[in-house]
Parts: sequence; structure tokens; C-alpha cells
Amino acid sequence: MGDGTLSTEPILHIENLHKEYDNPVTLVLNNVSFDLFREDFLCILGPSGCGKSTLIRCIAGFEKYSGTIEVDGKRVESPGSDRTMVFQDFNQLFPWITVINNIAYPLKINGMKDKAERLKKAETYLNKVGLSEYRDYYPHQLSGGMKQRVAIARAMALGSRIILMDEPFAALDAMSRNQMQDELLRIKEGEGMTVLFITHNIQEAITLGNRIMVMGNSGNIIEHMENPIEKPVTPASPGYSELWKHLNRLLRNECQLEKGQ
Amino acid sequence: MNKKLCAQIAFLVFILILWQILYSMHIWPELLFPSVSMIGDAFIRAFTERELGVMILHSLRLLIEGLFIGVVFAFILSSLFAINENLSAIYNMLVCMFDLIPGIALIPVAILWLGIGDEAIIFMVVHSVIWPMSRSIIDGFKAVPKIYTEVGKNMGLYGAKLIFGVYLPASFERLFSGIKVGWARAWRGLISAEMVFGGGSALGIGYYITDRRTNLDISGIFATIIVIILIGIVVEYGIFRVIEKNTVVKWGMVH
Ligand SMILES: Nc1ncnc2c1ncn2[C@@H]1O[C@H](COP(=O)(O)OP(=O)(O)OP(=O)(O)O)[C@@H](O)[C@H]1O
Ligand SMILES: [Mg+2]
Repeated sequence: MGDGTLSTEPILHIENLHKEYDNPVTLVLNNVSFDLFREDFLCILGPSGCGKSTLIRCIAGFEKYSGTIEVDGKRVESPGSDRTMVFQDFNQLFPWITVINNIAYPLKINGMKDKAERLKKAETYLNKVGLSEYRDYYPHQLSGGMKQRVAIARAMALGSRIILMDEPFAALDAMSRNQMQDELLRIKEGEGMTVLFITHNIQEAITLGNRIMVMGNSGNIIEHMENPIEKPVTPASPGYSELWKHLNRLLRNECQLEKGQ
Repeated sequence: MNKKLCAQIAFLVFILILWQILYSMHIWPELLFPSVSMIGDAFIRAFTERELGVMILHSLRLLIEGLFIGVVFAFILSSLFAINENLSAIYNMLVCMFDLIPGIALIPVAILWLGIGDEAIIFMVVHSVIWPMSRSIIDGFKAVPKIYTEVGKNMGLYGAKLIFGVYLPASFERLFSGIKVGWARAWRGLISAEMVFGGGSALGIGYYITDRRTNLDISGIFATIIVIILIGIVVEYGIFRVIEKNTVVKWGMVH
């Protein structure tokens, strides 16, 4: 986790987080606590329906919750540009503005008055995700993977404290998925971003995260660990298969528990 | 596309020829069934000798004013009644009820309340626009995908900024179809009203067609009908299609 000179104050602090939906009444998050520090890349694994999206939506400020969620010591009450969400859905870009404006528009909302400055910054980040030529395209003219890249560029350009990613690559084919993972890691290192990343995919969690968390069916955390494997991670990295097996066993147990109920 | 256009034009030419053949067979008296060239003559005379040009401009001015007022009020009312569920249920009911009233049926009310003048015509136009527009706003805003509003809130939009930044563009297609329905109704309603009482402070296109009838000028009547069709075509292809091509089509929101 960084070079040791980083401040030890967490950016994100979560304690005793509970979340219940009213209709039907279900307890989805059960006593979740963890901290996220600067330049962390925390990957959250968990079986389908265990509450991963609910957790990230609570952090983003889209859901009511009980317990504590604090960003830089301030309680999360509503959505805000200090936490930018990248959704799984490809249709998260505004279709009525061009790619470049999709990145520049949030800058305008957040007080960057000078248009030339906005466009320049947007271009810089569009370049980082390798889509400079698509500057003036409309989102419907891009492939799914390209749209996700633009959404990531949009989040980065805004300079959010935390980038929240809810399975952003889940709908991509394996090839583009690997490519996007490499790209995200490279950018993350360059920018020093802090990321909370949700995934179904064990390989993805091991490749990307410096920390890995596993959620269980009852909405609790059943594993929270540092990722011991050095970057760049490949399936041949020492310790990879042990870690993969360990995480797989945890997830399998959860799935069996659910069936047993 | 071009092939279709050729087919359409060929068909129109065919109708004109057929018309002329029927005319030359003298089945009906000339007073009821004029020749193509007589209608053409009447068309030209309507603009040169008579005042149809001025009347069209007057009608269109009232129409645009009414459209504008109708759209603005539809927005104001739809947002006011959106405050809580009971109010929005009431407004939904009102929209359904009033939407059923043909514009022409309100002319007596308009005349008695507002007198014979521009106001009565504008009243009619507003009535034609406000209900379909309200329906489009209510349904359009409801149908805005949650992901767009969440992305908007996430980047810091709220209140009026969220409405203008997300809800309006995201529901543009429906809002625009509300305007199109409103315009079509208003255009019919306006001509009906002008046929009943001339057309406000100045005479309008509906007056002209009644006037031609009282003069037993059948060519003039057909010429006016052609003018009405032409204006409709200009609005549809010259304005609506162009707007659509530069918005929802360009954005990939319709295909
Ligand atoms: N708005 C809602 N109202 C009621 N229940 C909900 C709502 N949203 C989610 N749930 C329930 O909460 C549980 C957790 O859902 P959530 O979407 O957080 O799961 P997830 O871990 O993200 O699953 P997946 O991996 O399939 O995306 C599910 O049982 C779901 O049925
Ligand atoms: Mg999910």
C-alpha cells in the first residue's frame, strides 16, 4: 500500500454498516466495516446477490443506510463528485453529447469555468484511455469496451477521491477484459487513484487488487486480506494458484450454503 | 430514398392527370369541379390579388404564440403537480379529461369568455397543445433511465440543474412528439376557429376558405386546401425532420 509516507487517515471509513430493503424486507448488508486508504485498490468478491452492488451504492450515496460511512471524515448523505461511480451498464454516458463533452461536462458542473481548460483536461484523459480519435463521436457510435473506457476517463478527469467500480468489465469478452485490466492498472499507478472495485471474477481480483475482500451470502465480510502477489500478476506468478484456490473455496462454500438453506 | 421520392412524385402527377381527364369529361359542372389550371390560377391570385399571404402569416403568428404558451404552461403545471402523488394523480385525471375535448367544441366558450379576437384563437391553440404536451412531459420524465439521473447526481447535478442537464435531453424524443401532436391539433383547431369567426384581430387562412365558399369560388377553395397541405409539409419536413435529424437521430436514440 504505497510507500509508507502516505497519511494513515483513511479516505473511506465504514463501520457497522447495515442495509435493509423495505420491499421485501431483507437485510442485505450485515455489520460491514473496513477502511480504504489513499492509492488502495480494493477488490470485493462475492456470490451473486450477496449485496456487493448495494454496498457500493451506499458508498456512492444512492441508498439510505444505517451505521457509518465517512469520506475524509464527513458522513455520506447524498451522491457527490468526490466519489465517482463507474457502472456495469454500458449506457452510462449521456447519449446527447459527444465523447469529449461527456468527459468535460462534469468538470463544468464542478466549477471549471474556462471552456478551453475543460476541453484540454478532457483530451488528456481521453488520450490516457487511448481514444483520442473518437473525440467527436457520439456514445452510440462506440463499442461497449470503448464506452467503459470513456466512463473511466470521465471519473478520472473529475479527480474524485475514490473511484467506485461495479463490475465495469463484466459484460466484456475475455480478450478486451484482460486488455482493460492492464490499462486500468497502468493508469491507476500513473494517477495514484484510490479504487474500490467489485467483481465476480477471482482472476480479476487477484490481478487488480492490492487488497481483496470476500463477502458472504448474509451480507457480511468473510475474508479481508492484503494481496501478497506482486504486480504484474500472471497465472504463473508465485502464489497465484494457492490464492486462487483459497478464494474459490470461500466462494464455493457460500454458494453451497445458499443451496443448503 | 430517392426512388421512393420519385414514386411519390409520379403518383402526384398521375392524380393531376386523372383530375384533368375527369374535368375534360365534363361529368360534373365546372362550378363544382374546376380544372387543374383553374386551381393553379386561383392559387396565384390568392397571393397576388388577394391577401392570403398576409392571412397565413397572421394565422402562423397566433399558432406560434399559442404553441409557446402551451408548452411553457405544460411544463409549469406538470412540475407543480409533480410535488406529491395525490396532486399528480389529479393532474393525470385532468389531462385525460381535457385531452378528450376537441378544440372546436371549446370555441363557444372561448368566444363568450374572451370575445372574438386573437385571445380566443390563442386559447384554442393552447388547449390543443397543453394536454398532449403534459402527457409527454409526465411520461417522458418517468421513463428517463435511472442510470442517467444517478450519473447526473453523482457529478453534482440537483434540482433545476438536473432537470435541464439530464431529464430534458434524456426525454427529448417524447417531449418532441408531444410538440408534434400539439402542433397538428393546434393547426386543425386554428383553421376551424377561423372558419367560425374569421380569425382574431386580423383575418386568417380559415376565414379565406369560408370567404371563397360564399363567393362560390371552388378553385379558390381547392387552392387554399393545397396551401394548408403545403404548410403542413414544410413544417414536417423543413422543421420537425431537421430538428430530429440533429438531435435524437444524431444521438442514436431513435433509428
Ligand atoms: N431496490 C431493491 N429492493 C429490494 N431488494 C433489493 C433491491 N436491490 C437489491 N435487492 C436485493 O438485495 C440483494 C443484494 O443485491 P445486490 O444487487 O447488492 O447484489 P450483488 O452482490 O451486486 O449481486 P450481483 O453480483 O448479481 O450483481 C439481493 O437479494 C436483491 O434481491
Ligand atoms: Mg451487482
